[in-house]
Amino acid sequence: MTNKVAIIAANGGLFDAYKVFNIATAAAASEKEVEIFFTFEGLNLIHKQGMHALEMPAGKEHFAEGFKNAQVPAIPQLVEMAQELGVKFVACQMTMDVMGLTKEDFVDGIEVGGAVTFLEYAKDAAPTLTF
Amino acid sequence: MIKADVKLDAKGLACPMPIVKAKKAMQGLEDGQVLEVVATDKGSKADLAAWAKTVGHQYIGTTEEGDVLYHYIRKCNPETSAAAEKTFEQTATNEEAIAAGATILDVREAAEYAFGHIPGAKSIPMGELADRMGELNHDEVIYVICRTGTRSDMAAKQLAEAGFTKVYNVLPGMTGYEGELQKEVE
Repeated sequence: MTNKVAIIAANGGLFDAYKVFNIATAAAASEKEVEIFFTFEGLNLIHKQGMHALEMPAGKEHFAEGFKNAQVPAIPQLVEMAQELGVKFVACQMTMDVMGLTKEDFVDGIEVGGAVTFLEYAKDAAPTLTF
Repeated sequence: MIKADVKLDAKGLACPMPIVKAKKAMQGLEDGQVLEVVATDKGSKADLAAWAKTVGHQYIGTTEEGDVLYHYIRKCNPETSAAAEKTFEQTATNEEAIAAGATILDVREAAEYAFGHIPGAKSIPMGELADRMGELNHDEVIYVICRTGTRSDMAAKQLAEAGFTKVYNVLPGMTGYEGELQKEVE
């Protein structure tokens, strides 16, 4: 049985961030090797400033209270926790070039790679998840 | 109250935090020790059981008090537990032990015993046996049982070395027991 989980984060909203980091931290806490490939809007989730101001989907803003009541950790906390648990972050080089971003725009400890980097990792991962 | 070696307060925390905290807390336990996770996340019951199964720990059970859940997980090391050899020569099957009507000594942790044991079985966790041998009679027939026969093997040897002669290690142990269970929890 494989012990690898591969995740593609391709969207940049608050809900997307929770889906990605909850699964990632849960997997890492279950002794899995986890890698997340952040591409297109997904890069927001690890952007130093962007991750503090992720938006709710239009019309769903009223869930803000629910997040507060459920004491759900803030995204920057989940990012830190994921890294602490050994989750590897890979930012998509091509998207960074398109958006004019550099490695310094993101949280420390990330790697930069292309599609093939992710595919190589994911070839024997189960599951591979896309958010 | 169920006895645990380490307590983790995860009250008020939402998924996946109880799991993340449990993983960290587990690092501080010795193999065989029991972790109590106190949580209010209703999903933690299914999650902690699944987590324990995935990483190879033993999920013992959960009790509820109002909105608070108390989970019990015993730290296991899959490598050492699978390799453990059972060498105590006097053995008995589960059926023989129950039919004998003699003392059944359950050497699992207190939490494991609380979540289900053979009716009438006496509980002395493996780690307390050396100090509590006085509670047993040298002449009595003792069937020592645990979950899979490993701890009871060690306990039976300890008893034999202390001069108990009518001691039997029960195999396969509680994993193979399908009879009535007596519980100390609701």
